[in-house]
Amino acid sequence: MADNTPGQAQSKGVQTTGHVWDGDLQELNNPLPVWWTYTFYATMVFALVYWIVYPSWPIGKGFLPGMNTITYVNADGVEESWHWNTRAKLLKESQEAVIAQKPYYDKVASLPYDQIAKDPELSSFVVSAGKAVFSDNCAACHQAGGQGKVGFFPNLTDDDWLYGGSYEKINETLTKGRRGYMPPFAEALDPSQIEALANYVYSMSGGKADDSKVAKGKALFHSDTAACFYCHGDNAKGRQDIGSANLTDKVWLWADVPGLADDTAKINAIKTVIAGGLNKGVMPAWEGRLNAEQIKLLTVYVHELGGGK
Amino acid sequence: MSATSVAAVEQYDYEIIKKFSIMAIVWGVVGMSAGVFIASQLAWPWLNFDSPFLSFGRFRPVHTGAVIFGFGGSALFATSYYVVQRTCQTRLFAPGLATFTFWGWQAVIVLAALSYVSGFSQGREYAEMEWPIDLLVLFVWVAYGAVFIGTLMQRKQPHIYVANWFYLSFILVTALLHTFNNLAVPVDLFSMKSYSLFSGAQDAMTQWWYGHNAVGFFLTSAFLGMMYYFVPKHAGRPVYSYRLSIVHFWALSFMYMWVGTHHLHWTALPDWASTLGATFSIMLLLPSWGGMINGIMTLSGAWDKLRTDPIMRFMIVALSFYGMSTFEGPLMSLKDVNALSHYTDWTVGHVHSGALGWVAMIAFGSLYHMIPKLWNTQIFSVKLINAHFWLATIGTLLYITAMWISGISQGLMWRAFDDFGNLQYSFVESVAAMHPFYAMRAIGGMFFLTGMVLMAINIYMTVRRGMREADSAQARAAVAAV
Repeated sequence: MADNTPGQAQSKGVQTTGHVWDGDLQELNNPLPVWWTYTFYATMVFALVYWIVYPSWPIGKGFLPGMNTITYVNADGVEESWHWNTRAKLLKESQEAVIAQKPYYDKVASLPYDQIAKDPELSSFVVSAGKAVFSDNCAACHQAGGQGKVGFFPNLTDDDWLYGGSYEKINETLTKGRRGYMPPFAEALDPSQIEALANYVYSMSGGKADDSKVAKGKALFHSDTAACFYCHGDNAKGRQDIGSANLTDKVWLWADVPGLADDTAKINAIKTVIAGGLNKGVMPAWEGRLNAEQIKLLTVYVHELGGGK
Repeated sequence: MSATSVAAVEQYDYEIIKKFSIMAIVWGVVGMSAGVFIASQLAWPWLNFDSPFLSFGRFRPVHTGAVIFGFGGSALFATSYYVVQRTCQTRLFAPGLATFTFWGWQAVIVLAALSYVSGFSQGREYAEMEWPIDLLVLFVWVAYGAVFIGTLMQRKQPHIYVANWFYLSFILVTALLHTFNNLAVPVDLFSMKSYSLFSGAQDAMTQWWYGHNAVGFFLTSAFLGMMYYFVPKHAGRPVYSYRLSIVHFWALSFMYMWVGTHHLHWTALPDWASTLGATFSIMLLLPSWGGMINGIMTLSGAWDKLRTDPIMRFMIVALSFYGMSTFEGPLMSLKDVNALSHYTDWTVGHVHSGALGWVAMIAFGSLYHMIPKLWNTQIFSVKLINAHFWLATIGTLLYITAMWISGISQGLMWRAFDDFGNLQYSFVESVAAMHPFYAMRAIGGMFFLTGMVLMAINIYMTVRRGMREADSAQARAAVAAV
């Protein structure tokens, strides 16, 4: 240790350790900062307290359970007490929510629909709980606000209902699900017939179409060749018992008529639907996935979204 | 000056260090570009281009692998080979093995990136590499350990300099972590797919024992080693306290080993394990700060250098971010704070205040100091370093501020209940609320990347100058000889 003689004082009279590396690297021999040492001890005290409060060191086959406890009333109304643990904390918090919401769910289950909607407190509950259930289960398709997506999922906020907008019908749709279907006409009809039908369908909701094609399409619509009226009805207003669309309003689900710029593109979109038909309008059945109260809650919620009848 | 430097070039094995330094810059540009790309995908999802090869899920490990192991790893190989030679006054032990560590490590980064893009992943964060690549990492690492320890053993200095303790702990612990976290059984000898030897909560604990110690020893201890050489060297001042360096080295090494479980609060992990993770994280605060204090106090009395020297500024800002994120980390590891922060962008912001603010900045400072010395020349442009410094600092601040806001908003939105005890927000509403902050984060990343590109240009010009000077010196010598 020939080079172990204390080095020159570098600053404030503190000496270096005497070692030199790489020409000029040295180390001062300053003591540990006092505040650093005591704060380090303080963190150890904090850790000790934490170990006393929460479950900590494993001992044998068990562990120190900690002094902290969690007490709650379980689903059977029996009080349970545990040493602090993650699962008990979850059970306690979810049990408290269940207990707080129980009176409201009981009322929703027992009252008729229109009375639920009329009761201000209960309808606030429906909006709150309904939004939570809707967001988790329905919003993935119908979107967070229920506005749907043209070409994919129906809008629930307008007053146009494929299967009916009464409480009973909404409940039926939710419980049993729906399956929309329209046959493709590409083989049954020739392109000029499909063109004519599209012009007629477009004209029914006020679109600017070719008059002669509209006339030809109207005849086809009511003929046995195309037989559109079988499902969409003589007045083309659709039939809710089979879920066929009302073609006379400005609401579009499959053809993105509002989103397209000019009349030709809009008519082409309608032609695509007529030619290709539809076999994708599936609403899943929620029976068995949600309980009866939740479905009833959603029924009122969807009804209140704007277009319930 | 130039006479002694020429002598130094002959005294030490610099070729391998040059190679690793260049690759650190290359991987920095590549990895940070990948980072900006995935950050932009989160803000503007059409950037996934509906392609599995370009999707966020596959590109995320490309980003983390390229910045941590490519940029960070290459910078560590380069600086550790530089520091260990200069502080031991000896050339590298087994230079052939050292060359193998270079080509092997670069192969690991490239193969890992290709495998992620093709869809192969172990699904373990920061250890996504499948088993054949893991084996290559192991071979490279054993070689690295042999070179480093061998060099230490043939030192011509009686004492081992503090930087080398940190590098050595990094090499030993990384070997341990990598081996145990990647114990897996391949589906068959010719399949990339493997299954972990551990299952359930034990598997998760092994992964986060690895994950946090990768942060602790790869991204902290090793970079503290870098700090302990380059800060006093560049400042021309002695290290503030030898005693503090000893105490905080052992405290840091001991405490880090315990804290991985704080990544698994509020899960199926046993509560006692989560408590120990939280408390050891709290006790880790001061050992971490020991390094920051030693670095910053080393500069005390030379503060004027901060005005004129952007390299010094990189180092000091790095130490400040190190202090900030090692305060934030223990805070987030408390069960109740974690209940808010877990699974949110706050975690992402925390990682990046360490990764951008500490790891990258201390590496930038060290590389700017070291590279001109390797090529025996001056840096091409101090102005460009200065521009890089500001771009990096602004980028980091934009990034972490965006993630604090979005992370805390997420945490609050997810736990918000209304008067009836129903969740106030759906998940998708919280996603929509994040959009402006995701855009802000991507912009922060663009700042940081721009700085990195300036560095690449600056280093390219510096190396070119160094090579020209060497050529003309050779020519002069030849003329003189004639």
